[in-house]
Amino acid sequence: MRNINSVKQEFLKKWIWCLRKYSSQKKNMSLLERKKAIKLSADLAMASTRNKTTRWSKALIANASKNSSNKVLTAHVPGSSPPQRVRKSSTNYSHSTRIRSCRRNRAVYRPRDRVVASFIAKKLVQKRTRRLKSLLPGGEFMDDASLVEETLDYVQSLRAQVEVMRCLVTASELMILNPS
Amino acid sequence: MLHCANASGNLAGDMTVLERQRARMKWQEEQGYFSGFNAVFSSSSSSSLHVQDSLMLAADSGCALGEVVAQAQAQAQTRSMNKPSLAGFDSSSSISRTFSCPPALVEPEPRPRPTDSSFGKECLKKRKPDKLHNAKFVTENDTKDKRIKVGADDEQSKITGSPKSNTKTNSNKREAWADTSNSKQNSKPSEVQNQKPDYIHVRARRGQATDSHSLAERVRREKISERMKYLQDLVPGCNKITGKAGMLDEIINYVQSLQRQVEFLSMKLAAVNPRLEFSVDDLFEKEVFPTSAANFPNIGMSSDLTNSAYLQFNSPQQMVSYGGLDTGINPPCMGLKRSISAHVSMPETYHHSSCFTQMLPSSAWEGDFQNLCNLDFDQVRATSFPSHLSSGLVEAGNHLKMEM
Repeated sequence: MRNINSVKQEFLKKWIWCLRKYSSQKKNMSLLERKKAIKLSADLAMASTRNKTTRWSKALIANASKNSSNKVLTAHVPGSSPPQRVRKSSTNYSHSTRIRSCRRNRAVYRPRDRVVASFIAKKLVQKRTRRLKSLLPGGEFMDDASLVEETLDYVQSLRAQVEVMRCLVTASELMILNPS
Repeated sequence: MLHCANASGNLAGDMTVLERQRARMKWQEEQGYFSGFNAVFSSSSSSSLHVQDSLMLAADSGCALGEVVAQAQAQAQTRSMNKPSLAGFDSSSSISRTFSCPPALVEPEPRPRPTDSSFGKECLKKRKPDKLHNAKFVTENDTKDKRIKVGADDEQSKITGSPKSNTKTNSNKREAWADTSNSKQNSKPSEVQNQKPDYIHVRARRGQATDSHSLAERVRREKISERMKYLQDLVPGCNKITGKAGMLDEIINYVQSLQRQVEFLSMKLAAVNPRLEFSVDDLFEKEVFPTSAANFPNIGMSSDLTNSAYLQFNSPQQMVSYGGLDTGINPPCMGLKRSISAHVSMPETYHHSSCFTQMLPSSAWEGDFQNLCNLDFDQVRATSFPSHLSSGLVEAGNHLKMEM
């Protein structure tokens, strides 16, 4: 990953740009609408900061562009990709599952208690992997290897996002603190 | 015949270069049988690896050298016995020799091998075409390799062929061979080196599949665990946990907490800002600065400085165009320092600008500033105004840094 400061800076820039775009589309939003807009624009900004290099960012943009109301925004985001590309990776996933099922069959020939223990361990890991997949945008189309990789990237960018947002929140809170 | 002459020379106990090589191979094979350095045979064509291996083995070895020599000689004996009947065809000779070799190996080894050897024979029957291909492959490789004299080339190919077929006498050897032959077929010599640690790891799982799929699996798993290590460093409180499931738990929790934080922060922002006015730059350029400039004519050059710095800060597009973040943050600090001497209201402007204020009536700024100082620094009960100012400046600087 690049220098974290430059990432944050780019994120802030894109975020504010997105927000302006969004607010120019709609006036007089309710609180929830505003929140949604803020979150969406922050996510999109983060995704476009990690431009085209990661799958989660692609999936995020693709998901956002599915929603027709967001079209205006996603059309302008650089690096927005068609959802076909995500679907292509789903074939990889099915392939890997086939391999995995093969392995499980082979484990039957081992001694019994070992089979049970390893089976349980594998189950636990699988369950958690599935949960992690559901957490990551576009995670359901990833295989295990890329899942870990993408998680690494995603966590890093989420951290940057949170830091920038927190700064903005404190700034606007201070603004409220000393009102006119 | 060259082979016969050679073999007889060996029988006499004369250790030529070739024989030493053979002994080493044999030794490596034995060692490999015990400790799992099976990759030796794949890499026997590349001399550098070979040397490396032998060094490693030498470090590892608990085996007496004399025993090794004896084993090598025993093997040489069997080979010389077989040779007359086998002269003529290269690739098949190494194959047919494999049937004679296991019994020869039984003698020097303390291990019970009968079951292994019988198993190996069964496997040989199954794998015959495969092996034929491999034997050819080895010969090819060795002829390409120029580390041995030309006259001894043929002999060398046979030597590498025969230990190789010996490896098939047990299942682990077979696995190793499959490993290495696969990596060879992929024509990635560096892969052999990469697979080495893998390889030892693999040996623990006895009787697992050796096809390319499971090899790929192994590589993949290696990659995953490597990435997991990075993740462990990244996720706080994860480095104490061992086990993949626990780690995954921790990672999931962390990701979830981050996502929730984003939710929460966006909610907060939405609550704080009634009309999404983060597009502060135009607002500020129009409203705040003209008034400040008008109200405080004695600001002078410091106002210019802060103006530019301010623009840098508030319009991200410009910020980016100016280069790094640090360049964006340094001018404001400079401006702040200079404005200490210039005028009271300067830091106040600063503070407000960093906080994305809406338009304020400029007459109320002084009071606001004092209020703010009192609010933020109750503990700094300063008597004189300048001390207030300086504390306010520090505060403003802090905010600036925090925001970046």
